[in-house]
Amino acid sequence: MRRFAERIRRFMQRPGTVDLGRAWPVVRAATAAEDSFRGLTDAAIQAELARLRRTDGAAPARDESIAFCALAREVARRTLGQRPFDVQLLAVASMLSGRVVEMATGEGKTLVGAITAAGFVLRGRSVHVVAMNDYLARRDAEWMRPLLTALGASVAWIDQHSDDDARRTAYRADVTYAPVAELGFDVLRDRMRVDPAELVVPIPDVALVDEVDSVLVDEARVPLVLAGSTELPRPDPVVTEVVAGLREQTDYEVDDERRNVHLTEAGLDRVEQALGGVDLYLGENVALLTEVNLALHARALLVRDVDYLVRDDSVKLISASRGRIARLQRWPDGLQAAVEAKERVPSSPAGEILDSMIVQALISRYATICGMSGTAVAISEQLWEFYELHCGRIDTNVPCVRDDEPDRLHLTAADKLEALVQHVRERYQAGQPVLVGTRSVAESEEVAGALELVGVPGVVLNARNDAEEALIVSRAGEAGRVTISTQMTGRGTDIRLGGADGVDHDRVAGLGGLRVVGFGRYHTGRLDDQLRGRAGRQGDPGSSVFFTSLEDEIVRDFVPGHRPPTVVDGEGVVHDGLAQMTVDHAQRVAEGAHLDTQRTTWCYHQLIGIQRAAVLEHRDDVLHRDAAVELLRTRRPERYAEAVARVGEAVVAGAARSIVLHHLDRIWVDHLAYLDEIREGIHLRALAREAPLHEFHRIATEEFPRLLPAAHDAAEATFAEAEIGPDGVDLESLGLRRPNSTWTYMITDNPYGTPEERFLEYIGAGLRDGAVRLGLRH
Amino acid sequence: MLGAFRSALATPDLRKKILFTLGIIIVYRLGATLPAPGVSYKNVQACIQAAQKGQQQDVFSLINLFSGGALLQLSIFALGIMPYITASIIVQLLTVVIPRFEQLKKEGQAGQNKMTQYTRYLTVALAVLQSTGIVALAVRGGLFQVQCPDVIPDSNIFTLIVIVTVMSAGTAIIMWLGELITERGIGNGMSLLIFTSIAARIVAEGKTIFNKGDESGRGALILAVVCVFALVIIATVIFMEQGQRRIPVQYAKRMIGRRMYGGTSTYLPLKVNQAGVIPVIFASSLLYLPDLITKLAFQNKTNWFVEFMSQYVTNQSSWVHLLIYVALIIFFTYFYVAITFNPDERADEMKKFGGFIPGIRPGRPTAEYLNFVLSRITLPGSLYLGIIAILPNLFLSITGSGNNQNFPFGGTAVLIMVGVGLDTMKQIEGQLMQRNYEGFLR
Repeated sequence: MRRFAERIRRFMQRPGTVDLGRAWPVVRAATAAEDSFRGLTDAAIQAELARLRRTDGAAPARDESIAFCALAREVARRTLGQRPFDVQLLAVASMLSGRVVEMATGEGKTLVGAITAAGFVLRGRSVHVVAMNDYLARRDAEWMRPLLTALGASVAWIDQHSDDDARRTAYRADVTYAPVAELGFDVLRDRMRVDPAELVVPIPDVALVDEVDSVLVDEARVPLVLAGSTELPRPDPVVTEVVAGLREQTDYEVDDERRNVHLTEAGLDRVEQALGGVDLYLGENVALLTEVNLALHARALLVRDVDYLVRDDSVKLISASRGRIARLQRWPDGLQAAVEAKERVPSSPAGEILDSMIVQALISRYATICGMSGTAVAISEQLWEFYELHCGRIDTNVPCVRDDEPDRLHLTAADKLEALVQHVRERYQAGQPVLVGTRSVAESEEVAGALELVGVPGVVLNARNDAEEALIVSRAGEAGRVTISTQMTGRGTDIRLGGADGVDHDRVAGLGGLRVVGFGRYHTGRLDDQLRGRAGRQGDPGSSVFFTSLEDEIVRDFVPGHRPPTVVDGEGVVHDGLAQMTVDHAQRVAEGAHLDTQRTTWCYHQLIGIQRAAVLEHRDDVLHRDAAVELLRTRRPERYAEAVARVGEAVVAGAARSIVLHHLDRIWVDHLAYLDEIREGIHLRALAREAPLHEFHRIATEEFPRLLPAAHDAAEATFAEAEIGPDGVDLESLGLRRPNSTWTYMITDNPYGTPEERFLEYIGAGLRDGAVRLGLRH
Repeated sequence: MLGAFRSALATPDLRKKILFTLGIIIVYRLGATLPAPGVSYKNVQACIQAAQKGQQQDVFSLINLFSGGALLQLSIFALGIMPYITASIIVQLLTVVIPRFEQLKKEGQAGQNKMTQYTRYLTVALAVLQSTGIVALAVRGGLFQVQCPDVIPDSNIFTLIVIVTVMSAGTAIIMWLGELITERGIGNGMSLLIFTSIAARIVAEGKTIFNKGDESGRGALILAVVCVFALVIIATVIFMEQGQRRIPVQYAKRMIGRRMYGGTSTYLPLKVNQAGVIPVIFASSLLYLPDLITKLAFQNKTNWFVEFMSQYVTNQSSWVHLLIYVALIIFFTYFYVAITFNPDERADEMKKFGGFIPGIRPGRPTAEYLNFVLSRITLPGSLYLGIIAILPNLFLSITGSGNNQNFPFGGTAVLIMVGVGLDTMKQIEGQLMQRNYEGFLR
């Protein structure tokens, strides 16, 4: 019956919204028991906790759940001075049963997360709280430490500066707060260890994901990549110089979406001449051509202060989805070096991919997954598709009275800026706090500059001044304060009206509360909602409005060649329903495109993941058992006997292990590079009506059986030649790995569509042309 | 290949999927033979017998083929998969005409889901329309166009409504079955159901051939010869469908250390039959036109034009007809390939993504080179399509006239069947590959 109902729901394509209200009776019972817990001594609370503790990991009985909720509420009140609201306990109960909950901003997600973690620990499990970034991981861990400790759970956190020992200690805690990237890197690094004692990550148990939509969906488009340094030719300064002298339009062309660039005929001639009359398109000149292409990409497509910052003589990437510096990210395959050459900063070491993993694979390792976010229901379908997670909404504690005004659409970007500045000035003069949301560092500075000109002092929060973030955000609710920020997700701190201590709360509330002003829509509606959610927390008054224009990046990129609006007033404001729909449409196209990228990445990584698991299984045999010795002894008995006689069995075993591990890792790196190479051109197969993914699988599968024998052969050869001294074997001369960077890959699977679609497109274009000529269409 | 199939059946997960698919197909075939309530099975059989003796009309033959003969049986799945195909085509066409649909198409998965939903609604609407038409035709005795007993003996309005409802519901169920196969079984559900329908006709057609031959006493021999021919044709089609010319492509967007890989795996494939089955469908549809025109314009009059038309152009065994047919197929193949492959666009894309054919400059020279190779390879491709398409006509003396589309060993039928078969095999192969890693390293 349940499956039948599910079938119907799927048939009707309802998003997987589940009813979280089922836990209400537990919460009400806990509230009823509140007074009896209020009087308990600390010792009595500890005794009660001991009674509830179990080690089998199973879900507690109903009365135990009630006791836990009441207990957690009392402990939170004593340790943090915060009494969890009923809705917060409801969220805890839902997450303890493995759900994803949506809670509006300012509803106290951090507290909910900590209580949930304590609940899991009480069942005898260990929890990783997956945070978006270092800052939140550390802040939340320290903030919640008293509560968690009082509930009998040990707490630790990890950030990018933690060393291996600190990580091992942190992972031993009951509750470990860690940013998603660090969790991923620890897993990846563990896969490359050569000594069992060096392993860091324990067996994963419970993952509690904060900002679940950002971590599991937005960030998941970018695979986590472990890289080691390698020798790549430095960019030739001549190439950089030649490319710097090229002009757009005449020498090179950029496509509408500003994602690809190529030389024109004239530009090509110019480059070839400047490089000494070579023919770049001969097969043997591919390296030089690659250099030219990379330099051109760096010159034409990557913009300083939008895509990267130059700080301390080095190039720092800005994460497009977060508007902050992505410390661990680098551009792949020589692009980083090309940008560094363009900015004339010293070049950093180039890397090669040692191993990679997608966020889905990382999170799927956990036995139980739950999560929370301010905007989760919008992605419930993806959460179900990729993680088999159900998700539901928790009502706010006090009804939200925020007034979300319709967008104000302008014809040009200049009109939009003008209107926004006027609007912010009016609000500023009235004394109302204003939060302006922008999409890039450059944009935030453009807005701040324009406001400055009309006498409005704004505080900018962007990638340049992350450090003061908490302070800036906490003061954003003060009267007469104008804050200009890049994307707000993961900024953590609440904006309280009247400042952090809320002394001025009532006066600011009287002015209408926080005014959120968006400087254009983000690439997904969820980010818009995150920004809006900053206003109107806990029933405060507040309002939001977005200023958009038909020249916004999102419209330009995703709906090129849209119909010009028909109704425009003197100030460039568009009063045209269809044009407004264009902006909405652009956002939906962007969302669809992102989802497609994610799905494609997932599909392509799935097989690699299976192959990796197979290799790792063998690797574990080598690492933890004596597979290496057995292999080399059977293959080279005389050499083995000779070495054992000279340095002893244990040393030879260690040497054999490191030799085999070295070659296993080496062969995997080469395999990954090969697959990358294949993937680059695999979309061409679609032209022959073949499925690129399937062809990719076929090639990868045919290649795979060759890996292990090749690694074993290489290990045998090394074993025969390498010096084995009393300290084992010296592999330094073979030179390998120094991990630590991520870079991004975007993959498109089939850019062509089916032949039928292309034919239809052709017919459609003819029809449209005809209609235009007959005057039926504009 | 058989080995692959055996190991597919040995993999529990895959075996489940294959058995599930087979189960659905059985349900589909059962429904195709189950008469709708109110239809007299006996009378229908009598009518089919009578119709086979007489001249069969072409009007319903394609629908009948795609429904696996269920149409003329007036079964609960009488409409087969046709309403769904028509609905898909209409929705696809609307994407180029209606701005709203155009937008949906670009909105990725969410938009796609909405379009699928519209397609489903349209399918049901079309099914109601078509079943009403067919029932009306059946009541008036127009379905078989021969003298035979009433197929719906008790044709009061209530019975008719029940039949229409049942047939429409049947179509919705077929649609669901197809989606079930795609979701939980193996291969593309809709394609597999079409495959099933066409394959189901083979037995019936074989029987017809046998019966016709039996009149001269050599039925078994003729059937055997036809079967041998059929195998040869299928093998040829499989061979030709897999043929492709591979143009090496290099990408120059990434700096790679150590060594160059992939040299032989990165290429631009050009199929011998790049166009697929579409040119044949275009050509045969166009050849129906003269027949239609003469019928409409001249009713029952006879003059030299009508004579000429029926003698040469519409007569499927005349060499004029065959020549025009082949010429049209060749034309449409070139036309379709030129539009769908579009060398200029491909060259532009390669330029955009940093790809190139070694030794050839990007842009115009690349487009010209692609064009050159494409026009060379399309010639044998189009001739092959033409020959496969007229094969049934060459067998006309054996199968009886008018059965062009129905003959399962040539024309569109064999092209579709082999296409679907190859695709499904590839899917099984793909699933098999992913599952073969366990215990593979020891």
